[in-house]
Amino acid sequence: MSALLDRQQALLAALFAWPPATEPLARHVQLPWTRGLQAYQTNGHALAQRALGAAYPVLAQLVGGESFAAMARAFWHAHPPQRGDLAQWGDALPEFVRASAQLAQEPYLADVASVEWARHCSAGAPDREPDRSSFALLVESDPAGLTLDLAPGCAVLRSTWPVASIFAAHQDGGPGFEQVGARMRDRVAEDVVVWRAGLRPQVRQALPGEAALLDALLCGMPVLGAVDAAPELDFQAWLGPAFECGLLLGARLLGPGAAGAGPDPIGAFSTPL
Amino acid sequence: MSSRATGLRPPTIAQVGVGWRQPHYAELLERLPQLDFLEVHSENFFAEGGAALATLQRARADYCLSLHGVGLSLGSAAGLDPWHLERLAALVRRVEPERVSDHACFARGALGASLVHASDLLPIPFCREALDVLCGNVSRVQDRLGRQLVVENLSAYLHWLDVPELEPMAEPEFLASLARRTGCGLLIDVNNIYVNALNAGLAAAQSGTVRDPIRDCREWLDRIPVDVVAEIHLAGHCHVRTAQDEIVIDDHGSRVCDAVWSLYRHSVQRFGPVPALIEWDTDVPALDVLLQEVALARATHTQAGAP
Repeated sequence: MSALLDRQQALLAALFAWPPATEPLARHVQLPWTRGLQAYQTNGHALAQRALGAAYPVLAQLVGGESFAAMARAFWHAHPPQRGDLAQWGDALPEFVRASAQLAQEPYLADVASVEWARHCSAGAPDREPDRSSFALLVESDPAGLTLDLAPGCAVLRSTWPVASIFAAHQDGGPGFEQVGARMRDRVAEDVVVWRAGLRPQVRQALPGEAALLDALLCGMPVLGAVDAAPELDFQAWLGPAFECGLLLGARLLGPGAAGAGPDPIGAFSTPL
Repeated sequence: MSSRATGLRPPTIAQVGVGWRQPHYAELLERLPQLDFLEVHSENFFAEGGAALATLQRARADYCLSLHGVGLSLGSAAGLDPWHLERLAALVRRVEPERVSDHACFARGALGASLVHASDLLPIPFCREALDVLCGNVSRVQDRLGRQLVVENLSAYLHWLDVPELEPMAEPEFLASLARRTGCGLLIDVNNIYVNALNAGLAAAQSGTVRDPIRDCREWLDRIPVDVVAEIHLAGHCHVRTAQDEIVIDDHGSRVCDAVWSLYRHSVQRFGPVPALIEWDTDVPALDVLLQEVALARATHTQAGAP
């Protein structure tokens, strides 16, 4: 190993190992070094808390400031960033929360975190413009050869907890905590739809059958198959409001062999929780 | 582009810009203050779409931009992250910035079986091998972007041991060699030099030695070739004191101090009218406070007089 590589690995180990592994670093740095190392460690922990707080604001409120800070520190060491853009870091937090013994009494938190990560991803998904005129294809063309274009970052998440209500209770105009508490006690399962309308990420509870329809479309199925997969949904009644709220952007002819060819790259986040 | 564009100011007057951060996104676009450029952190606009990118593109209509990266990890012996370089290249294509810069530091490397990124500006040793690695990575970035990169000196809180076999050198000569070998520009952060001098003074004091940080900084600046400096950064710092020790942190959380202004005057006299930036990243104050600092930078530049 080169001397430079050795030194750089020693510093990274001192920053990320827990408890800190400083012995290899001590061979390479000038005295005094402990205060300087502490400055980098402190900065890393502050960055972790800030980055995760931006992506997971509802989770932060649910667990409380001190616990969230401790969780961010623990996650920083368990799953260090791999990219130089911290907005890319944090996708493993839902599973980290799910596996946490300390949070075992709050089993819905991991699902809330999954919703927040999908929302975070939708914020930076590639822009796409709606095309109202394309809906003429729905009456002009064979629905077996058509698909629907969904909004940037569209994702469907399924939960055995009332996660949409929990999420909404932390937004302006959402349901009261008493109402959410009742749904929690009743173990009301809620599916969630996440998308970006224009520049604003959106989260709401899925309509009956809507999750199945969106799942099928996200998997690249044609309209005909997607509608068949969602018998609970009144497709004709869904189209207009879905377009108006920015969830649905337009209709498009599938290319030869495109049906079922795989997930749409802009909307591949479809997760059974 | 409006009259705020950099190119419309007389070339002998230094261009002065601000680090444009989220608390000022809306206000700045509404007020459109007289600024020669806006600096943004490149990584904050790596997304392929969405509100942040739309905001940056709105600003691009009225201002020149300087893309300042904090994550390329140019000094990493493990190499650059191709994903990062491609995202930067896409952003450069999209906003056509006046300058693209990053730091003479590392953050990326192996931790066990994984490659990790420390999300910090970690110091590199000033030695032959580190210079070779830095030059290789800077050249790769410049080749990919098809333009000059500007590289900034760090404030460092750890210092690597000088080992004779590694051919150590002083930081100014290290950076001058980098510029000469790669053709990159240098971004001189005057506050970083001062913070390093203060911390070196604190360390020296433990062994009973007294150092003059201003003199140390001027000597440092005088060893940088005049024709390679592409930008100057000005920012605040803080002293963190405990019962046991003290450290000076480059936190970009306060006004530029008098000592740094005096070093800026010295820099102007040496390097001429290079663009200068007011950076403020922690406890970001009202936009007017930043604009006051911009006015001070312009006044300081005028008083100093370019060579």
